Order: sequence, then structure tokens, then C-alpha cells
Amino acid sequence: MISLLQSEWFKLRKSKFVFTAILLGPLITFFYALMLQPDTFGLEKRFLWEFLIAFTTLLYALRFLPLTTGILAGLICRYEHQNGGWKQLLALPVTRSRVFLAKYTILMLITLTMQLLYLLAIWTSGVLKGAEEPFPMMLLWKSIFGGWIATLPLLALQLWMSMLFKSFAAPFAVNVVFTLPAILAVNSEKFGPLYPWAQPFLMMYVSGDAENDIFFVPWEQVLTVVGGSFLIFFFGGLLYFRRKENI
Amino acid sequence: MIMKLLATDFLKIKRKGLWFLTILGPLGVVLLQWVNYELVPGRREWLLQRSDDDWLFYLQNVNSFTPLALVLGITILTSLAASIENETNAWKQLIALPISKMGVFLSKFTVLAFLLAIASVLLFFFTWLLGIYLDLGAVIPYAQIATFSFYPYFASLPLLALHLWVATVSNNQGIPISLGVIGFLFTSYSFKLPDWLPWKWPSLQNQWDEPLVNVVLGICVGIILYIIGMLDFARRDVK
Repeated sequence: MISLLQSEWFKLRKSKFVFTAILLGPLITFFYALMLQPDTFGLEKRFLWEFLIAFTTLLYALRFLPLTTGILAGLICRYEHQNGGWKQLLALPVTRSRVFLAKYTILMLITLTMQLLYLLAIWTSGVLKGAEEPFPMMLLWKSIFGGWIATLPLLALQLWMSMLFKSFAAPFAVNVVFTLPAILAVNSEKFGPLYPWAQPFLMMYVSGDAENDIFFVPWEQVLTVVGGSFLIFFFGGLLYFRRKENI
Repeated sequence: MIMKLLATDFLKIKRKGLWFLTILGPLGVVLLQWVNYELVPGRREWLLQRSDDDWLFYLQNVNSFTPLALVLGITILTSLAASIENETNAWKQLIALPISKMGVFLSKFTVLAFLLAIASVLLFFFTWLLGIYLDLGAVIPYAQIATFSFYPYFASLPLLALHLWVATVSNNQGIPISLGVIGFLFTSYSFKLPDWLPWKWPSLQNQWDEPLVNVVLGICVGIILYIIGMLDFARRDVK
């Protein structure tokens, strides 16, 4: 299993572009945070952290993160889609479940790295803007960790779609079709919590109303919406890949 | 020759999902407003109270998603069109035919511009139909519906030219798709962008508050970017 993970990472690393894809979101967040002008919104410097987090979450968690799951999943299947790579990979003495699991694990780790880089982007921009309050580490850990958990079902679906379609753009189209409505869904108290593509935003957005010491949303929502969609997408993808005929 | 190229390109995009996405884009944009107005009881009344001109307010709501759908739609359609040759390494075989590379590029551009034009016409009809269904008032502002349906199309031609260029010269389709995601973020925050960035234009905003400026800019810069893309595509060696 370790060697499978190594070979997956090696294939990904060789295309170089994956580093751009990882750095893209945190970099955009960083420059966006630097450009934000707190005073025009009538906020004191005291609330700079809360202000930065609230505004960058709208950009990063609502729009960037769900779309990036599609790019990353596409990249990790790209090598095999070229010139019969699936056949060669599966001719090796590895089980299909393990290949699926290895690819999924790499995706999970990359997303975690992106989340940590996002944290770094917030911190750097806040320090550069001269924040006076201490860095709200506890709030941000909740946000970073929650956002990561919320992307796990989306990663599973995108990995499934990327294995299903040979072209890069087709699984991304699926991603777009589900992500765009999330912009509307987060405004609804009734439908937002039920919509899997809105979860990265809802779980990263700092709010104090949930009676939950790990996430910003209620446990029931984490378990049913995030957990439920994860089970469907992950095992859907896994079963599909085990039965897939490779051409 | 160009007619034959067009015919083959229309043949090649069959059953690849391009036509499906062309219909899904405008339908999705309008359906989101149906959800916005109708799904939660009382929401429609609340939305109608927020302005004096119910039609204009509705059109602005539709237009909050049109530029986003256009930017991502252009990204997906251009990448899919380039994938037809990329996936099967058919560029070599295509270019080996006695046709000019510029013709190949022009043909692809024309097909995609045509698909997007169809999407705009569909957007006009879907917007109109939902407006009537929502009962927004007896006087239907056809000119305004047309503005909000067709102006974003012309304003986004530079993005079509840019994306077709990047997609056809990229071996890794992750590159044009990532460019599309950046463009999507730009377009989402178009109200903060300077006027000279093409990603702002589909939203029809500018400092003069005159959407026609974006149309003119879109067509002019679109032609320039198209020529640059075509020349670069023609110059490159096919792998």
C-alpha cells in the first residue's frame, strides 16, 4: 500500500502542474486578503481576523475549494487515461480497491495541505496588515478541519467521475453543475444545510450558533449530509472502479 | 474548404456532451431563479417587494449567474473540443491533411461561438418564459431581456478566444481548466475588478454604466486574441 501511494504521488509530481493547482487557492486568498479594506466596511482593526476569515471564506470555501476537487481528481487520473495507462497499472499485482484507495488518500492529503496553506495565507496577510488581536487559532483549526472533512465526499465523487470520463473537462462539468447552485443554497436556512456542495463553506464559516465543540455546524448535519454523501460517493466510485472495463 | 472543416467539426462534437451542456447552461441559470423565487413559500413576495421594477430585478437576478455560467461554460466547451484531438493524438492526423492550420483553428472557434450563440438564444427564451410564469407584470421588456441574454455573449468572446488558444496548445487539460477557475473567481468579484480585465465584461458593468461598451470591447479584443491564438497555434509543432 505504501508503494502504491508512493507511485501515485510520483506520477502526480512528475507533471509539475499539481504544485500550481495546490498553491493557486492559498495564493489567491492571500492577495485577496491583502486587498480587502477593513475601514470601508466600518470595522475596527480589532476585528481584523474575523473580518479576513469571513471574507476569504466566501471566496475560498464557497467557490474555490469545491471546484478544485475536480481539478485534483482529474490530475490524479490523467496519467492512466493516456495511452492505456489503466491497463498497465492494473496488470500489476495490485487490487483495484487498493488503487482506488491510494488515489483517494493522495487527494485527501493534498486537500489537507491546501487547507494548511490557506491558514498560512490568512496568518501572513493578517500580520502584514498589522493585526493587533492574537491569532484566533482555535477558531481557525475548527474551520480548517471542518472544511477538510466537508470536501471528502466531493473528492470521492470527483474521483469516481474522473475514472468514468476519459476527458478532463467532463468530470469538471459535473462539478460545476453541482457547485454553482451552492452559491444560492448557502442563503437558504432550509436547503443550505442539506446540500453537500455547500458544506465546505458552512463548515469553514466562523459562526457561534452551533452547540458543537469541534465544528461550526450541528453533529447531525456532519453525520447525515457529509457522512451520508461520502458513503454514497465513495462506495459508488469504488464499486464502479472494481467493475470498470479498461480500454 | 472551411465548410467541409465545419461539417467535420460538427460531426466530431456529436455525443460528446457539448450540445447537452449548451442547453443545460441557460436552462440551469434560469432554473436557479425558479428555485430562488418559488421553492420557499413567501420568498417570491419578499423578492417582489425589494424593487419597483419586478422585471428588471428578476433580470438582474438571472444576470448574477449568467457571467459565471458563461465563463465556466466556455472553459468546459473549449477543453472538451480540444480533448477530441488530444485524447486520441489525432492532431497529427488532422494536420497531415491538405488543410491549413489556421482553418482548423477558425473552424473550432466558429463551432464553439455558434454553440454559445445558441445558448444565448435559449437563455432569452427561458428567461422570457420564467418571467411570464412568475407573473412579473403585463408589460414584457423584450429589449431588456435581449440585452441581458445577448450582450454577455459578445462581451465574453475574448474569453472564448483565450480559452480555445490555451486548450488547443496545452497537453495537460488541467491548465485551461485551472485558468477557468481563476476566471470564475474574477467574474464572481467583477464589481471589484478594473474595467480593462476581460473577466469583468460579461457582467456588463463598467464605470460609465453603459453595457454597450463591454460589447464593443468584447468583439474588438475577441478578434485580437483570436488572431494571436490562431497564429500561435499555426506556428507550434504538433506533438
